Amino acid sequence: MMSLAVAWLAPFAAAIVALSTLPPLVALYFLRLRRTRRVISSTMLWKRATQDLRANAPFQRLRFSLLLLLQLLALALVIFAIAQPQVELGGSQASRIVFLIDRSGSMNAMDAPDNQSRLDQAKRLAENRLQALHGGGLFSGPAPSVMVIAFAKDAQILCPFTDNIAQAIAAIKGIQPTDETTTLSDSFELARAFTTVTNPDKPTTIAVDAPSYELFSDGRIADLSQSVLRGGERMVFHSIGKSTTMNAGIGAIAVARNPDRPDEVQVFSRVVNWSNEPFTGDLEVVVDDRLRAVTPQPVNVPAAQEDATMHIRVPGETQVVFPSLTLPKGGVIEVRFSKHDLLVADDRAAVVAAPPSALRIALVGRGAFVMKSILEGMSLASLDLFSLAAWNEKMAANPLLPDSFDVIVLDDATPDDLSRGRYLIFHAPPITAGISPYGTKENATPQSIREGHPLLQYVNLDDLFVSSMTAVAAGGDADVIVESGEGPMMMTLSRGALTFVYVTFDPMESDWPFQRGFVNFFANSIAWLAAGGSAVADEPLAPGDVAKARLPAGAKEVSMLIPGGTTLPIVVQDPSNISYGPLRTTGIYRLNWTAPKGQSGPASLAYAVNMNSRAEGRADTAEEVKFATERIAGIQGGASAETSAWPWLLLAAVAVLFLEWWVWLRRV
Amino acid sequence: MNPITKVDDLLDSRLMARLDRLDVISRKIFAGKIQGERRSRRRGQSVEFADFRNYSHGDDLRFVDWNIYARLDRLFLKLFLEEEDLSMVIAVDMSQSMDGGDPHKFDYARRLAMALGYIGLVNNNRVSLFGFGAERVERLTGLRGRRRTREMGRWLLDRTADGLGGFTDGMRTIALGGQGRGVLIVLSDFLFPDGYEKGLNYVAGRGFDVFALQLLSPEEVDPARHGIAGDLRLIDSETGKETEVTASTAVLSQYRKSLETYIAGLRDFSVRRSITHQVVETSLDMDTLLLDYLRRRGLLA
Repeated sequence: MMSLAVAWLAPFAAAIVALSTLPPLVALYFLRLRRTRRVISSTMLWKRATQDLRANAPFQRLRFSLLLLLQLLALALVIFAIAQPQVELGGSQASRIVFLIDRSGSMNAMDAPDNQSRLDQAKRLAENRLQALHGGGLFSGPAPSVMVIAFAKDAQILCPFTDNIAQAIAAIKGIQPTDETTTLSDSFELARAFTTVTNPDKPTTIAVDAPSYELFSDGRIADLSQSVLRGGERMVFHSIGKSTTMNAGIGAIAVARNPDRPDEVQVFSRVVNWSNEPFTGDLEVVVDDRLRAVTPQPVNVPAAQEDATMHIRVPGETQVVFPSLTLPKGGVIEVRFSKHDLLVADDRAAVVAAPPSALRIALVGRGAFVMKSILEGMSLASLDLFSLAAWNEKMAANPLLPDSFDVIVLDDATPDDLSRGRYLIFHAPPITAGISPYGTKENATPQSIREGHPLLQYVNLDDLFVSSMTAVAAGGDADVIVESGEGPMMMTLSRGALTFVYVTFDPMESDWPFQRGFVNFFANSIAWLAAGGSAVADEPLAPGDVAKARLPAGAKEVSMLIPGGTTLPIVVQDPSNISYGPLRTTGIYRLNWTAPKGQSGPASLAYAVNMNSRAEGRADTAEEVKFATERIAGIQGGASAETSAWPWLLLAAVAVLFLEWWVWLRRV
Repeated sequence: MNPITKVDDLLDSRLMARLDRLDVISRKIFAGKIQGERRSRRRGQSVEFADFRNYSHGDDLRFVDWNIYARLDRLFLKLFLEEEDLSMVIAVDMSQSMDGGDPHKFDYARRLAMALGYIGLVNNNRVSLFGFGAERVERLTGLRGRRRTREMGRWLLDRTADGLGGFTDGMRTIALGGQGRGVLIVLSDFLFPDGYEKGLNYVAGRGFDVFALQLLSPEEVDPARHGIAGDLRLIDSETGKETEVTASTAVLSQYRKSLETYIAGLRDFSVRRSITHQVVETSLDMDTLLLDYLRRRGLLA
């Protein structure tokens, strides 16, 4: 059943106006009377009559007057309007209310009134709603406790449950936009953690003070289908933005160097269109803020389609390949639309292309012919061959020896010191790094393959057969990317200054060297390890990711230049393992440092953070949010859950004044 | 009711014919100045026996009842009721308070005075008209006989209600004016700022058979039904004083009580002084008033 709740935004102002206007109006009726002059024979009897009535009364008795009634009615309407009543159509208010404010990338769409972003509108509406809930009033009930949670890729409590409206408003105002994807389940978990109370004396008894959620979002939330509202929980969905807003963006960007001409790069891009209409527009390629190329003709992207089977919207997509660019030194390559739409963040995507550097590789151990041949075929700065004994001896003399090489390939060798460096390890388990072997397995084939991992790009393991492999137990920090029924076959591990890729079998005891995928895997591993073990040059970060870097030992004065031009200092404990983030907005981040004396090389590292339009680029506001078990309709038009009644009250007051005027004219 | 512009408007021929059958009567027997058609307490030479009294020296022997003397051997004088003329005084209130109402109170008073005067003239009474309320008391005295009717009408036609008060002075003038004793008919609303008591006292003690006909307009009797409503500033037509009145139910009710109290006070005052008081609402038809009301009240017969 619908119930009508009214909140007053300015009850005290209305009270002041009422006290200052109502008594004078009534007093005017005591004092001011519009009397009709009339000559009669004698007023003697009238005087006697009125004298009898007025006897012993300081004021005349207030008699019924239609004019007074109408004027009081008009004044009351004005006073109510000043109090700014907010009429809410909904249930009763909970004692605890959680404000969930979406700050994901799509909330940066500029389709809110007054040329504001959706996030600005959401913050304003949330603030109004908060003030309405705490508007008070003589007859209002206790104000609910309020929690403020901002959510995007993850959720963050900006203000725990509080009765302090100023604190909550300050938290709302402090919400910063991000370009992250949207998930809501974390928000529920956080809110429920504060509303579920366990009695230590009665562990089986859980007291739940079910909160009411006020969701301010455009409704494009990725994990809605995995979330449910529990018993007693209510939600009001404040639909922010417009359902007619359409958007196109760049879904992906990739850069590849021409293997024959290393100073040339080729830029690939994928344009995503969420609109009902086909998209046509020009794309530009900008390298280090200089325009380098424009699509020779406008890019046409088909309109998005509704998949009736899956009940999802499938965006139209078009691949765009730009002509080769000369890029001898590397740089930041950005693809962008020549004209922005309402959601700017996905109108551009960038990638940091590393310079065509030559790698320094060390091959330790047997130096199998296959591996040696592959390495010699690569464009390397140097290739040094070491026996295990020689390597151990050099390591003993210079513990920083691994830093002299971009990648060290261990062919069935386990060095004594495996504390730092980047290694591609075959067969012999890196025991010194915590990998524990427990036997040998035979006749293994891959059972689980992490598709899409950078190491497995262009690597087909379907036909791989391993006659013998080392059975190892991977530690908790190991990332197994290929696993057989007998145990891990390939894994990566990054621990402090140590990063390695471990293949648990000897390629020579498999048919892998005879497959093209082995060469690709070898090259991918060398490139991945040389790039630092995280992002490869052509794989930019997504909003919310953490930037990692491995700086030279002794690097000082480390700072991060974020988009917008602000430089933030970073306190570094270990230069070889730096993490910074999350990087919540798109753009180019530059990590700068001062290299130690005597060392050459670059003192800056760039990170490109792109918003994947395919994940977050849908900008049409959802009219409802569909949870796993229920649907909640949004309050349309970006309006508050409450409708302001004061314009109607003022209109009614004007109408009553007209009526009063008409009555007065008839009487005069 | 049509405004009065000529004598015929005061008394039409139809009513005149009906009034011919009426006569003014008095509860008192007065001594007229000439012999008239009216019984008088004065024993005189009429044919109607009244009483006996002992003969005293000087009495006219023609009135000795010799039959009584023969039987009783004592001289008694036969007393006969002497027929005298009746002095009929009609006093019309000409104060501004009479200049109002619908029907107009002063017009009504003039019509009534005309009708009563006509009855007096027709019956050979001595009719005098007084108008009070102006700076001075206006009068037309010594009318007798039907032929003086138009003269009386013209006099009434020339009167206007524009005076201020003057009731006391008017009554004093009548009482002291030597009009002879007779019937005094006062036509007024008796709404005098300085009261009616003093004026009535002048004529009450002078042997007049006084009839106080209180003329009230319908608005004065029931203001609620005759346009008195809302917030009003009432202006006294006589004094010009203003009274703010809101014609609420309570005020109207209180007004009616005040009117009833005022009328009751006048009636009580009149009864105590043998004055016949009659409230006449000006909406009352003149025929009904004359042929019914005033006959029942003993003024006409």
